[in-house]
Amino acid sequence: MKLLYRGAEADVFLGDWCGQPAVYKMRKPLAYRLPELDKLIRNQRTVHEAQMLHLSKLAGVSAPSLYYLSPQEALLVMGFLEGKRLRVLLLEPGITKERVETLGEEFGSSIAKLHAAGIMHGDLTTSNVIVNGGSISLVDFGLAVHSGRLEDQAVDLRLIKETLTGAHNRVSKRFMQSLVSGYSSVLGRKRAEAAMKKLAEIERRGRYARVE
Amino acid sequence: MRSGARVLGIESTAHTFSASVVSEKEGVLTNSRAVYMPAEGSGIHPAEAAEHHLSVAVRVVREALERKHQRGSGIDEIDAFAYAMGPGLGPCLRVGAVTARTLALSTGKPMVAVNHAVGHIELGCLLTGAKTPLVLLISGGHTMVVAHSDGVWRVLGETLDLTLGQLLDQLGRYVGFASPCGRRIEEAASKSNRYLKLPYTVKGNDVSFSGVLTAAKKLVEGGASFEDVCYSVQETAFAITTEVTERALAFTGSRELLVVGGVAANRRLAKMLELMAKRHKASVKVVPPQFSGDCGAQIAWTGLLAFKSGDVLPSIADSVVRQSWRLDTVPTPWRA
Repeated sequence: MKLLYRGAEADVFLGDWCGQPAVYKMRKPLAYRLPELDKLIRNQRTVHEAQMLHLSKLAGVSAPSLYYLSPQEALLVMGFLEGKRLRVLLLEPGITKERVETLGEEFGSSIAKLHAAGIMHGDLTTSNVIVNGGSISLVDFGLAVHSGRLEDQAVDLRLIKETLTGAHNRVSKRFMQSLVSGYSSVLGRKRAEAAMKKLAEIERRGRYARVE
Repeated sequence: MRSGARVLGIESTAHTFSASVVSEKEGVLTNSRAVYMPAEGSGIHPAEAAEHHLSVAVRVVREALERKHQRGSGIDEIDAFAYAMGPGLGPCLRVGAVTARTLALSTGKPMVAVNHAVGHIELGCLLTGAKTPLVLLISGGHTMVVAHSDGVWRVLGETLDLTLGQLLDQLGRYVGFASPCGRRIEEAASKSNRYLKLPYTVKGNDVSFSGVLTAAKKLVEGGASFEDVCYSVQETAFAITTEVTERALAFTGSRELLVVGGVAANRRLAKMLELMAKRHKASVKVVPPQFSGDCGAQIAWTGLLAFKSGDVLPSIADSVVRQSWRLDTVPTPWRA
Protein backbone atom coordinates (compact mmCIF):
# COMPACT_ATOMS: atom_id res chain seq x y z
CA MET A 1 0.00 0.00 0.00
CA LYS A 2 1.13 3.49 -0.78
CA LEU A 3 1.29 6.14 1.96
CA LEU A 4 -0.98 8.99 0.86
CA TYR A 5 -0.77 11.24 3.84
CA ARG A 6 0.80 11.22 7.26
CA GLY A 7 -1.67 13.12 9.39
CA ALA A 8 -1.41 14.14 13.00
CA GLU A 9 -3.24 11.13 14.40
CA ALA A 10 -3.48 8.72 11.51
CA ASP A 11 -1.58 7.39 8.54
CA VAL A 12 -3.63 7.21 5.36
CA PHE A 13 -2.74 4.59 2.74
CA LEU A 14 -4.06 3.95 -0.75
CA GLY A 15 -4.92 0.29 -1.26
CA ASP A 16 -7.62 -1.86 -2.69
CA TRP A 17 -10.90 -3.25 -1.36
CA CYS A 18 -12.61 -5.93 -3.45
CA GLY A 19 -11.13 -4.48 -6.60
CA GLN A 20 -12.01 -0.88 -5.77
CA PRO A 21 -9.37 1.72 -4.94
CA ALA A 22 -9.69 2.26 -1.20
CA VAL A 23 -8.24 4.41 1.55
CA TYR A 24 -6.94 2.70 4.71
CA LYS A 25 -6.95 5.04 7.65
CA MET A 26 -4.99 3.72 10.60
CA ARG A 27 -4.87 5.43 13.91
CA LYS A 28 -1.51 4.22 15.11
CA PRO A 29 -0.63 4.20 18.79
CA LEU A 30 0.90 7.54 19.67
CA ALA A 31 4.02 7.08 21.75
CA TYR A 32 3.61 10.33 23.66
CA ARG A 33 0.20 9.43 25.05
CA LEU A 34 -0.29 7.16 28.02
CA PRO A 35 -1.17 3.74 26.47
CA GLU A 36 -4.53 3.41 28.25
CA LEU A 37 -5.58 6.94 27.33
CA ASP A 38 -4.27 6.47 23.80
CA LYS A 39 -6.19 3.24 23.20
CA LEU A 40 -9.42 4.75 24.45
CA ILE A 41 -9.12 7.81 22.23
CA ARG A 42 -8.17 5.84 19.13
CA ASN A 43 -11.00 3.35 19.49
CA GLN A 44 -13.57 6.01 20.28
CA ARG A 45 -12.62 8.25 17.39
CA THR A 46 -12.57 5.39 14.89
CA VAL A 47 -16.07 4.18 15.74
CA HIS A 48 -17.29 7.71 15.96
CA GLU A 49 -15.85 8.62 12.58
CA ALA A 50 -17.65 5.68 10.95
CA GLN A 51 -20.97 6.79 12.41
CA MET A 52 -20.43 10.40 11.43
CA LEU A 53 -19.45 9.49 7.86
CA HIS A 54 -22.74 7.69 7.50
CA LEU A 55 -24.81 10.51 9.00
CA SER A 56 -23.07 13.10 6.84
CA LYS A 57 -24.00 11.23 3.70
CA LEU A 58 -27.60 11.11 4.90
CA ALA A 59 -27.40 14.88 5.34
CA GLY A 60 -26.54 15.20 1.66
CA VAL A 61 -22.85 15.96 2.05
CA SER A 62 -20.33 14.18 -0.13
CA ALA A 63 -18.03 12.05 2.04
CA PRO A 64 -16.14 8.76 1.58
CA SER A 65 -18.15 5.52 1.58
CA LEU A 66 -17.38 3.22 4.48
CA TYR A 67 -16.15 -0.26 3.46
CA TYR A 68 -14.83 -1.72 6.70
CA LEU A 69 -14.41 -0.83 10.36
CA SER A 70 -12.24 -2.43 13.02
CA PRO A 71 -12.36 -0.64 16.36
CA GLN A 72 -9.72 -2.93 17.92
CA GLU A 73 -7.18 -2.07 15.26
CA ALA A 74 -8.46 1.52 15.03
CA LEU A 75 -8.80 0.95 11.29
CA LEU A 76 -11.25 2.35 8.75
CA VAL A 77 -11.37 1.37 5.08
CA MET A 78 -13.16 3.89 2.89
CA GLY A 79 -13.78 4.61 -0.76
CA PHE A 80 -11.05 6.62 -2.46
CA LEU A 81 -12.03 10.10 -3.61
CA GLU A 82 -10.34 11.47 -6.72
CA GLY A 83 -9.29 15.09 -6.52
CA LYS A 84 -7.00 17.60 -4.83
CA ARG A 85 -6.91 18.91 -1.31
CA LEU A 86 -8.40 22.39 -0.98
CA ARG A 87 -5.25 23.39 0.89
CA VAL A 88 -3.14 22.68 -2.21
CA LEU A 89 -5.56 24.47 -4.56
CA LEU A 90 -5.70 27.62 -2.45
CA LEU A 91 -1.90 27.78 -2.34
CA GLU A 92 -1.57 27.66 -6.15
CA PRO A 93 -0.24 31.04 -7.26
CA GLY A 94 -2.38 31.13 -10.42
CA ILE A 95 -5.75 30.55 -8.71
CA THR A 96 -8.39 32.97 -10.05
CA LYS A 97 -10.77 35.10 -7.97
CA GLU A 98 -13.73 33.28 -9.52
CA ARG A 99 -12.31 29.90 -8.56
CA VAL A 100 -11.75 31.06 -4.97
CA GLU A 101 -15.35 32.27 -4.86
CA THR A 102 -16.93 29.08 -6.24
CA LEU A 103 -14.85 26.93 -3.90
CA GLY A 104 -15.85 29.11 -0.94
CA GLU A 105 -19.55 28.91 -1.87
CA GLU A 106 -19.42 25.14 -2.28
CA PHE A 107 -17.55 24.61 0.96
CA GLY A 108 -19.98 26.92 2.79
CA SER A 109 -23.04 25.07 1.56
CA SER A 110 -21.54 21.65 2.51
CA ILE A 111 -20.90 22.88 6.06
CA ALA A 112 -24.41 24.30 6.25
CA LYS A 113 -25.90 20.94 5.26
CA LEU A 114 -23.94 19.28 8.07
CA HIS A 115 -24.98 21.93 10.58
CA ALA A 116 -28.61 21.70 9.49
CA ALA A 117 -28.42 17.99 10.38
CA GLY A 118 -26.88 18.78 13.76
CA ILE A 119 -23.41 17.52 12.85
CA MET A 120 -20.38 19.59 13.75
CA HIS A 121 -17.39 18.43 11.73
CA GLY A 122 -14.90 19.49 14.40
CA ASP A 123 -11.90 19.67 12.11
CA LEU A 124 -12.68 21.95 9.20
CA THR A 125 -9.19 22.72 7.95
CA THR A 126 -8.45 23.08 4.25
CA SER A 127 -6.59 19.74 4.41
CA ASN A 128 -9.86 17.94 5.04
CA VAL A 129 -11.63 19.07 1.88
CA ILE A 130 -11.21 17.19 -1.38
CA VAL A 131 -12.04 19.10 -4.56
CA ASN A 132 -12.84 17.33 -7.79
CA GLY A 133 -13.72 19.81 -10.52
CA GLY A 134 -16.63 21.78 -9.12
CA SER A 135 -17.64 19.37 -6.39
CA ILE A 136 -16.43 19.25 -2.82
CA SER A 137 -16.19 16.31 -0.43
CA LEU A 138 -15.41 16.41 3.27
CA VAL A 139 -13.15 13.87 4.94
CA ASP A 140 -11.81 13.14 8.42
CA PHE A 141 -14.80 13.06 10.74
CA GLY A 142 -12.80 11.85 13.74
CA LEU A 143 -13.58 14.94 15.82
CA ALA A 144 -17.19 15.36 14.66
CA VAL A 145 -19.90 15.79 17.28
CA HIS A 146 -23.66 15.97 17.46
CA SER A 147 -24.89 19.34 18.57
CA GLY A 148 -27.67 21.79 18.04
CA ARG A 149 -25.85 24.60 19.84
CA LEU A 150 -25.09 27.80 17.99
CA GLU A 151 -21.82 28.00 19.92
CA ASP A 152 -20.62 24.72 18.41
CA GLN A 153 -21.54 25.82 14.89
CA ALA A 154 -19.53 28.98 15.44
CA VAL A 155 -16.55 27.00 16.80
CA ASP A 156 -16.66 24.94 13.59
CA LEU A 157 -16.61 28.10 11.45
CA ARG A 158 -13.93 29.65 13.60
CA LEU A 159 -11.48 26.87 12.79
CA ILE A 160 -11.89 27.55 9.07
CA LYS A 161 -11.23 31.22 9.65
CA GLU A 162 -8.20 30.39 11.78
CA THR A 163 -6.83 28.07 9.09
CA LEU A 164 -7.48 30.62 6.34
CA THR A 165 -5.68 33.49 8.07
CA GLY A 166 -2.95 31.15 9.30
CA ALA A 167 -2.18 29.41 6.03
CA HIS A 168 -4.02 31.13 3.16
CA ASN A 169 -3.91 34.76 4.13
CA ARG A 170 -3.71 35.94 0.51
CA VAL A 171 -7.18 34.64 -0.37
CA SER A 172 -8.72 34.39 3.11
CA LYS A 173 -11.08 37.38 2.98
CA ARG A 174 -12.59 36.56 -0.40
CA PHE A 175 -12.87 32.87 0.41
CA MET A 176 -14.51 33.50 3.78
CA GLN A 177 -17.04 35.91 2.22
CA SER A 178 -18.08 33.35 -0.38
CA LEU A 179 -18.19 30.66 2.27
CA VAL A 180 -20.62 32.70 4.36
CA SER A 181 -22.78 33.33 1.32
CA GLY A 182 -22.85 29.59 0.51
CA TYR A 183 -23.59 28.85 4.15
CA SER A 184 -26.54 31.21 4.26
CA SER A 185 -27.92 29.94 0.93
CA VAL A 186 -28.63 26.64 2.73
CA LEU A 187 -29.37 27.69 6.30
CA GLY A 188 -31.00 31.03 5.53
CA ARG A 189 -29.64 34.49 6.21
CA LYS A 190 -30.93 34.67 9.75
CA ARG A 191 -29.22 31.53 11.01
CA ALA A 192 -26.02 32.36 9.13
CA GLU A 193 -25.89 35.83 10.63
CA ALA A 194 -26.48 34.44 14.10
CA ALA A 195 -23.60 31.99 13.63
CA MET A 196 -21.23 34.72 12.42
CA LYS A 197 -22.22 36.94 15.31
CA LYS A 198 -21.44 34.10 17.71
CA LEU A 199 -18.10 33.59 15.97
CA ALA A 200 -17.22 37.24 16.56
CA GLU A 201 -18.18 36.80 20.19
CA ILE A 202 -15.87 33.78 20.55
CA GLU A 203 -13.04 35.77 18.99
CA ARG A 204 -13.58 38.55 21.50
CA ARG A 205 -13.25 35.96 24.25
CA GLY A 206 -9.82 35.08 22.79
CA ARG A 207 -6.92 35.85 25.04
CA TYR A 208 -5.74 39.44 24.84
CA ALA A 209 -8.20 40.26 22.06
CA ARG A 210 -9.10 43.95 21.90
CA VAL A 211 -12.53 44.43 23.37
CA GLU A 212 -14.44 46.71 21.02
CA MET B 1 35.17 47.58 22.61
CA ARG B 2 31.79 47.97 20.89
CA SER B 3 30.07 45.03 19.25
CA GLY B 4 27.10 46.38 17.33
CA ALA B 5 23.98 47.92 18.83
CA ARG B 6 23.15 47.44 22.50
CA VAL B 7 19.67 47.52 23.98
CA LEU B 8 18.46 47.34 27.57
CA GLY B 9 15.07 45.66 27.93
CA ILE B 10 12.62 45.65 30.82
CA GLU B 11 10.04 42.94 31.49
CA SER B 12 7.22 43.57 33.99
CA THR B 13 4.05 42.00 32.56
CA ALA B 14 3.19 39.80 35.58
CA HIS B 15 5.13 38.44 38.58
CA THR B 16 8.62 39.05 37.21
CA PHE B 17 10.50 42.32 37.09
CA SER B 18 13.60 41.79 35.00
CA ALA B 19 16.15 43.82 33.07
CA SER B 20 18.67 42.66 30.51
CA VAL B 21 21.30 44.02 28.18
CA VAL B 22 21.81 42.40 24.78
CA SER B 23 24.24 43.13 22.00
CA GLU B 24 23.79 42.55 18.31
CA LYS B 25 26.88 40.37 17.97
CA GLU B 26 27.09 38.67 21.37
CA GLY B 27 23.44 38.13 22.22
CA VAL B 28 22.42 38.20 25.89
CA LEU B 29 25.05 39.97 28.02
CA THR B 30 23.23 40.29 31.33
CA ASN B 31 19.84 39.31 32.68
CA SER B 32 18.83 40.16 36.24
CA ARG B 33 15.45 39.61 37.81
CA ALA B 34 13.31 39.70 40.92
CA VAL B 35 10.12 37.68 41.23
CA TYR B 36 7.08 38.68 43.28
CA MET B 37 5.84 35.76 45.37
CA PRO B 38 2.21 35.82 46.47
CA ALA B 39 1.10 34.23 49.75
CA GLU B 40 0.62 30.43 49.82
CA GLY B 41 -2.64 29.46 48.17
CA SER B 42 -3.08 32.68 46.25
CA GLY B 43 -2.27 34.13 42.87
CA ILE B 44 -0.87 37.45 41.72
CA HIS B 45 -2.40 40.50 43.33
CA PRO B 46 -1.77 43.13 40.64
CA ALA B 47 -1.29 46.11 42.96
CA GLU B 48 1.00 44.15 45.30
CA ALA B 49 3.01 42.86 42.36
CA ALA B 50 3.40 46.42 41.03
CA GLU B 51 4.55 47.57 44.46
CA HIS B 52 7.13 44.78 44.50
CA HIS B 53 8.34 45.80 41.02
CA LEU B 54 8.71 49.42 42.10
CA SER B 55 10.75 48.43 45.13
CA VAL B 56 13.22 46.34 43.09
CA ALA B 57 13.34 48.33 39.82
CA VAL B 58 16.47 50.38 40.54
CA ARG B 59 18.44 47.42 41.89
CA VAL B 60 17.50 45.13 38.98
CA VAL B 61 18.35 47.72 36.32
CA ARG B 62 21.64 48.53 38.04
CA GLU B 63 22.57 44.84 38.11
CA ALA B 64 21.78 44.51 34.42
CA LEU B 65 24.13 47.41 33.70
CA GLU B 66 27.01 46.06 35.82
CA ARG B 67 30.21 45.04 34.08
CA LYS B 68 30.71 41.65 35.68
CA HIS B 69 33.14 39.39 33.78
CA GLN B 70 33.49 42.15 31.17
CA ARG B 71 30.08 41.25 29.78
CA GLY B 72 28.17 44.18 31.21
CA SER B 73 27.59 47.51 29.69
CA GLY B 74 27.63 51.05 31.04
CA ILE B 75 24.47 53.06 30.61
CA ASP B 76 26.29 55.31 28.12
CA GLU B 77 26.76 52.33 25.80
CA ILE B 78 23.04 51.61 25.50
CA ASP B 79 21.47 52.65 22.17
CA ALA B 80 17.81 52.17 23.07
CA PHE B 81 15.56 51.21 25.96
CA ALA B 82 12.94 48.53 25.33
CA TYR B 83 9.99 47.68 27.58
CA ALA B 84 7.13 45.22 27.50
CA MET B 85 4.16 47.28 26.33
CA GLY B 86 1.81 44.32 26.86
CA PRO B 87 -0.08 42.10 27.17
CA GLY B 88 -0.15 41.85 30.92
CA LEU B 89 -1.38 43.31 34.17
CA GLY B 90 -1.86 47.08 33.95
CA PRO B 91 -0.23 48.09 37.26
CA CYS B 92 2.78 45.84 36.58
CA LEU B 93 3.21 47.01 33.00
CA ARG B 94 3.22 50.63 34.12
CA VAL B 95 6.24 50.10 36.39
CA GLY B 96 8.25 48.78 33.44
CA ALA B 97 7.12 51.61 31.18
CA VAL B 98 7.97 54.27 33.76
CA THR B 99 11.40 52.75 34.37
CA ALA B 100 12.21 52.64 30.65
CA ARG B 101 10.85 56.17 30.18
CA THR B 102 13.09 57.47 32.97
CA LEU B 103 16.17 55.84 31.45
CA ALA B 104 15.34 57.14 27.96
CA LEU B 105 14.66 60.67 29.15
CA SER B 106 17.84 60.88 31.20
CA THR B 107 20.06 59.59 28.36
CA GLY B 108 18.23 61.05 25.36
CA LYS B 109 18.08 57.59 23.73
CA PRO B 110 14.91 56.24 22.00
CA MET B 111 12.35 53.83 23.44
CA VAL B 112 11.19 50.59 21.82
CA ALA B 113 7.85 48.94 22.66
CA VAL B 114 7.87 45.13 22.66
CA ASN B 115 5.05 42.60 22.70
CA HIS B 116 5.76 40.11 25.49
CA ALA B 117 4.65 37.05 23.50
CA VAL B 118 6.72 37.99 20.46
CA GLY B 119 9.57 38.43 22.96
CA HIS B 120 9.30 34.80 24.12
CA ILE B 121 9.44 33.62 20.51
CA GLU B 122 12.30 35.79 19.24
CA LEU B 123 14.50 35.06 22.27
CA GLY B 124 13.74 31.35 21.77
CA CYS B 125 14.91 31.63 18.16
CA LEU B 126 18.12 33.38 19.23
CA LEU B 127 19.00 30.86 21.95
CA THR B 128 18.14 27.68 20.04
CA GLY B 129 19.14 28.73 16.54
CA ALA B 130 15.63 28.14 15.19
CA LYS B 131 14.97 30.10 11.99
CA THR B 132 11.24 30.12 11.11
CA PRO B 133 9.86 27.39 13.35
CA LEU B 134 6.40 26.32 14.28
CA VAL B 135 6.14 27.67 17.82
CA LEU B 136 4.39 26.30 20.87
CA LEU B 137 4.03 29.16 23.34
CA ILE B 138 3.00 27.87 26.75
CA SER B 139 2.93 29.99 29.87
CA GLY B 140 0.62 31.49 32.44
CA GLY B 141 -0.64 33.97 29.87
CA HIS B 142 -0.54 31.96 26.66
CA THR B 143 -1.21 28.56 25.19
CA MET B 144 -0.86 28.98 21.45
CA VAL B 145 0.54 27.29 18.39
CA VAL B 146 1.90 29.95 16.05
CA ALA B 147 3.78 30.18 12.78
CA HIS B 148 5.18 33.19 10.95
CA SER B 149 3.56 34.15 7.68
CA ASP B 150 2.99 37.38 5.76
CA GLY B 151 4.69 39.63 8.28
CA VAL B 152 3.17 38.46 11.57
CA TRP B 153 3.23 35.51 13.93
CA ARG B 154 -0.11 33.89 13.18
CA VAL B 155 -2.14 31.78 15.56
CA LEU B 156 -2.91 28.28 14.23
CA GLY B 157 -4.49 27.03 17.42
CA GLU B 158 -4.95 28.19 20.98
CA THR B 159 -6.78 27.59 24.21
CA LEU B 160 -10.45 28.47 24.32
CA ASP B 161 -10.36 29.06 28.08
CA LEU B 162 -7.48 28.45 30.51
CA THR B 163 -3.80 28.44 29.60
CA LEU B 164 -1.61 25.50 30.57
CA GLY B 165 0.07 27.69 33.18
CA GLN B 166 -3.27 28.68 34.67
CA LEU B 167 -4.42 25.06 34.79
CA LEU B 168 -1.32 24.05 36.77
CA ASP B 169 -1.40 27.18 38.96
CA GLN B 170 -5.06 26.88 39.81
CA LEU B 171 -4.73 23.20 40.66
CA GLY B 172 -1.71 24.01 42.82
CA ARG B 173 -3.43 26.89 44.55
CA TYR B 174 -6.41 24.67 45.25
CA VAL B 175 -4.19 22.57 47.53
CA GLY B 176 -2.45 25.58 49.04
CA PHE B 177 0.62 26.28 46.88
CA ALA B 178 1.53 29.79 45.75
CA SER B 179 1.78 30.50 42.00
CA PRO B 180 3.68 29.67 39.92
CA CYS B 181 3.08 26.00 40.83
CA GLY B 182 4.41 24.20 37.73
CA ARG B 183 7.52 22.83 39.37
CA ARG B 184 5.71 21.49 42.44
CA ILE B 185 3.02 19.87 40.28
CA GLU B 186 5.71 18.22 38.15
CA GLU B 187 7.41 16.96 41.30
CA ALA B 188 4.18 15.51 42.70
CA ALA B 189 3.32 13.94 39.32
CA SER B 190 6.69 12.19 39.13
CA LYS B 191 5.75 10.19 42.25
CA SER B 192 2.73 8.53 40.63
CA ASN B 193 1.88 6.35 37.66
CA ARG B 194 -1.80 5.80 38.37
CA TYR B 195 -3.97 7.40 35.71
CA LEU B 196 -7.36 8.75 36.76
CA LYS B 197 -9.71 9.53 33.89
CA LEU B 198 -10.13 13.20 33.01
CA PRO B 199 -11.98 14.93 30.16
CA TYR B 200 -9.95 15.13 26.96
CA THR B 201 -11.05 18.11 24.87
CA VAL B 202 -9.64 18.94 21.46
CA LYS B 203 -11.73 21.20 19.25
CA GLY B 204 -10.09 21.22 15.87
CA ASN B 205 -6.78 22.99 16.44
CA ASP B 206 -7.96 24.50 19.70
CA VAL B 207 -7.83 23.12 23.22
CA SER B 208 -9.89 23.55 26.35
CA PHE B 209 -8.63 22.90 29.89
CA SER B 210 -11.50 24.14 32.05
CA GLY B 211 -13.06 20.65 32.13
CA VAL B 212 -9.74 19.12 33.21
CA LEU B 213 -9.46 21.61 36.08
CA THR B 214 -13.00 21.08 37.35
CA ALA B 215 -12.67 17.29 37.21
CA ALA B 216 -9.25 17.40 38.90
CA LYS B 217 -10.56 19.56 41.76
CA LYS B 218 -13.43 17.11 42.23
CA LEU B 219 -10.97 14.23 42.42
CA VAL B 220 -8.94 16.03 45.09
CA GLU B 221 -12.13 16.83 46.98
CA GLY B 222 -13.19 13.17 46.75
CA GLY B 223 -9.99 12.09 48.49
CA ALA B 224 -7.86 10.98 45.53
CA SER B 225 -4.12 11.18 46.12
CA PHE B 226 -2.72 14.54 45.03
CA GLU B 227 0.20 12.81 43.28
CA ASP B 228 -2.22 10.74 41.18
CA VAL B 229 -4.24 13.83 40.28
CA CYS B 230 -1.13 15.79 39.25
CA TYR B 231 0.07 12.83 37.20
CA SER B 232 -3.29 12.50 35.47
CA VAL B 233 -3.63 16.24 34.84
CA GLN B 234 -0.17 16.38 33.28
CA GLU B 235 -0.76 13.28 31.14
CA THR B 236 -4.12 14.59 29.91
CA ALA B 237 -3.35 18.27 29.41
CA PHE B 238 0.06 17.64 27.86
CA ALA B 239 -1.35 14.98 25.50
CA ILE B 240 -4.02 17.49 24.40
CA THR B 241 -1.34 20.14 23.85
CA THR B 242 0.92 17.70 21.99
CA GLU B 243 -1.98 16.58 19.80
CA VAL B 244 -2.83 20.07 18.55
CA THR B 245 0.86 20.81 18.07
CA GLU B 246 1.14 17.65 16.01
CA ARG B 247 -1.85 18.74 13.95
CA ALA B 248 -0.18 22.06 13.19
CA LEU B 249 3.10 20.31 12.41
CA ALA B 250 1.37 17.96 9.97
CA PHE B 251 -0.59 20.85 8.48
CA THR B 252 2.34 23.24 7.96
CA GLY B 253 4.89 20.54 7.12
CA SER B 254 7.36 22.38 9.34
CA ARG B 255 10.53 20.54 10.33
CA GLU B 256 11.34 22.69 13.32
CA LEU B 257 9.33 23.02 16.52
CA LEU B 258 10.29 25.70 19.05
CA VAL B 259 8.89 25.49 22.56
CA VAL B 260 8.87 28.69 24.63
CA GLY B 261 7.18 30.09 27.75
CA GLY B 262 7.30 29.13 31.41
CA VAL B 263 5.73 25.67 30.98
CA ALA B 264 8.50 24.81 28.48
CA ALA B 265 10.57 23.96 31.56
CA ASN B 266 8.41 20.87 32.23
CA ARG B 267 10.38 17.77 31.30
CA ARG B 268 7.41 15.45 30.78
CA LEU B 269 5.91 17.79 28.21
CA ALA B 270 9.24 18.18 26.40
CA LYS B 271 9.52 14.38 26.28
CA MET B 272 6.02 14.03 24.78
CA LEU B 273 6.75 16.67 22.15
CA GLU B 274 9.97 14.90 21.21
CA LEU B 275 8.22 11.55 20.80
CA MET B 276 5.61 13.25 18.63
CA ALA B 277 8.04 15.23 16.47
CA LYS B 278 10.10 12.13 15.71
CA ARG B 279 7.20 10.76 13.67
CA HIS B 280 7.26 13.88 11.50
CA LYS B 281 11.06 14.03 11.28
CA ALA B 282 10.96 17.41 12.96
CA SER B 283 13.45 18.68 15.51
CA VAL B 284 12.31 20.04 18.86
CA LYS B 285 14.08 23.07 20.24
CA VAL B 286 13.24 23.97 23.81
CA VAL B 287 14.27 27.33 25.20
CA PRO B 288 16.89 26.83 28.00
CA PRO B 289 15.16 26.70 31.42
CA GLN B 290 16.78 29.88 32.78
CA PHE B 291 15.15 31.80 29.92
CA SER B 292 11.81 29.95 29.69
CA GLY B 293 10.06 32.08 32.29
CA ASP B 294 9.50 35.80 31.85
CA CYS B 295 12.79 37.67 31.56
CA GLY B 296 14.25 40.99 30.46
CA ALA B 297 16.27 39.24 27.74
CA GLN B 298 13.13 38.48 25.71
CA ILE B 299 12.25 42.18 25.69
CA ALA B 300 15.83 43.39 25.14
CA TRP B 301 16.49 41.02 22.22
CA THR B 302 13.20 41.72 20.44
CA GLY B 303 13.74 45.41 21.19
CA LEU B 304 17.11 45.18 19.49
CA LEU B 305 15.55 43.54 16.40
CA ALA B 306 12.92 46.28 16.26
CA PHE B 307 15.53 49.01 16.86
CA LYS B 308 17.65 47.70 13.98
CA SER B 309 14.57 47.91 11.71
CA GLY B 310 13.96 51.51 12.78
CA ASP B 311 10.87 50.55 14.78
CA VAL B 312 11.35 52.98 17.71
CA LEU B 313 8.63 55.01 19.43
CA PRO B 314 8.22 58.45 17.82
CA SER B 315 8.09 60.15 21.21
CA ILE B 316 8.07 59.46 24.94
CA ALA B 317 4.35 60.27 24.95
CA ASP B 318 3.76 57.11 22.89
CA SER B 319 5.18 54.85 25.61
CA VAL B 320 1.79 53.66 26.82
CA VAL B 321 0.88 50.15 28.01
CA ARG B 322 -1.58 47.75 26.38
CA GLN B 323 -3.06 45.13 28.70
CA SER B 324 -4.68 43.39 25.73
CA TRP B 325 -2.39 43.05 22.75
CA ARG B 326 -2.57 39.84 20.73
CA LEU B 327 0.66 38.75 19.12
CA ASP B 328 -1.00 38.21 15.73
CA THR B 329 -1.48 41.98 15.42
CA VAL B 330 2.19 42.86 15.94
CA PRO B 331 4.24 43.78 12.83
CA THR B 332 7.66 42.07 12.65
CA PRO B 333 9.66 44.16 10.17
CA TRP B 334 12.91 42.36 11.09
CA ARG B 335 11.50 39.17 9.54
CA ALA B 336 10.70 40.83 6.21
